[in-house]
Amino acid sequence: MWFEEIEIGTKRVLGTHTFTQDEIITFAKRYDPQNFHIDPDAAKASMFGGIIASGWHTMAMWMRYAILSRQREAAERGVEGPGGVSPGFEDVRWQKPVRPGDTLTFTMETVGKRDLASRPALGLVLSRNEARGPDGTLYMSFTGKGLVPRKPNGG
Amino acid sequence: MSDILHFEDFHIGQTFAFGRYAVTKEEIVEFASQFDPQPHHLSEEAGKKTILGGLSASGWHICSMAMRMMVDGLIRHMANRGGVGSREGRWMKPVRPGDVLRLEVEVTELKEPQSLPDIGFVTFDARVFNQREQVAMVSLTPIVAKRG
Repeated sequence: MWFEEIEIGTKRVLGTHTFTQDEIITFAKRYDPQNFHIDPDAAKASMFGGIIASGWHTMAMWMRYAILSRQREAAERGVEGPGGVSPGFEDVRWQKPVRPGDTLTFTMETVGKRDLASRPALGLVLSRNEARGPDGTLYMSFTGKGLVPRKPNGG
Repeated sequence: MSDILHFEDFHIGQTFAFGRYAVTKEEIVEFASQFDPQPHHLSEEAGKKTILGGLSASGWHICSMAMRMMVDGLIRHMANRGGVGSREGRWMKPVRPGDVLRLEVEVTELKEPQSLPDIGFVTFDARVFNQREQVAMVSLTPIVAKRG
């Protein structure tokens, strides 16, 4: 999908995932080995009262469903969803701990488009990205950034 | 560091340097297969066709490796009460197989919320360097520390 074709306000439901205790511990042992992510007994005694997922695990899982959704869209319609190489993110908030058995639905809403004076072949797309529980409770949100190619010769 | 660090042990401008994280092709592909299955994170050939110029780690993988260095180098030694998010992260250079990463952080902000008298927020400006002393990633992330 070209920069010109991306519409502000479009919201995509990317997918839904239920976190297991095993995957939470496996991720955290490698990347975030704090007691309340890897040790059920220590986690129970901590302020969280049980195992919670690393915040970076939640981010990575959002990304998994964003890419799978984009690839599905590409296969179905022959058009890739918004994406491209990302220069980074802003305003990551872990509003609520993710616990084993929690089911989260990941979304992505296009909230802004910016021209890039330094890179005329690309545009910057801003997205509001979220993870919510079945009752709508917000667990995680952040602003994503994507560098998306413009149509050659201005379309 | 022998003593556990509380909120009062941090001051603006304080710096820490730590970590040595050797990045392998296997780990890049394993992480990407699970969490970011884009071609340039899965194969050298596909990576060459993009502006990344070759196989490179997912940005979320870079965040995760930085977190591991942060836990081993600092958070283990803190009276840490968890994280609340990250204000900003920027991926500046591709991270490739064979890269060796390290982390430098500087305390840039200290906040004592009046409503939460037993904790404070210590904000770290972090830079991930590769072995060529290039900055691969920067971030600005608060960590919750217990007050002493």
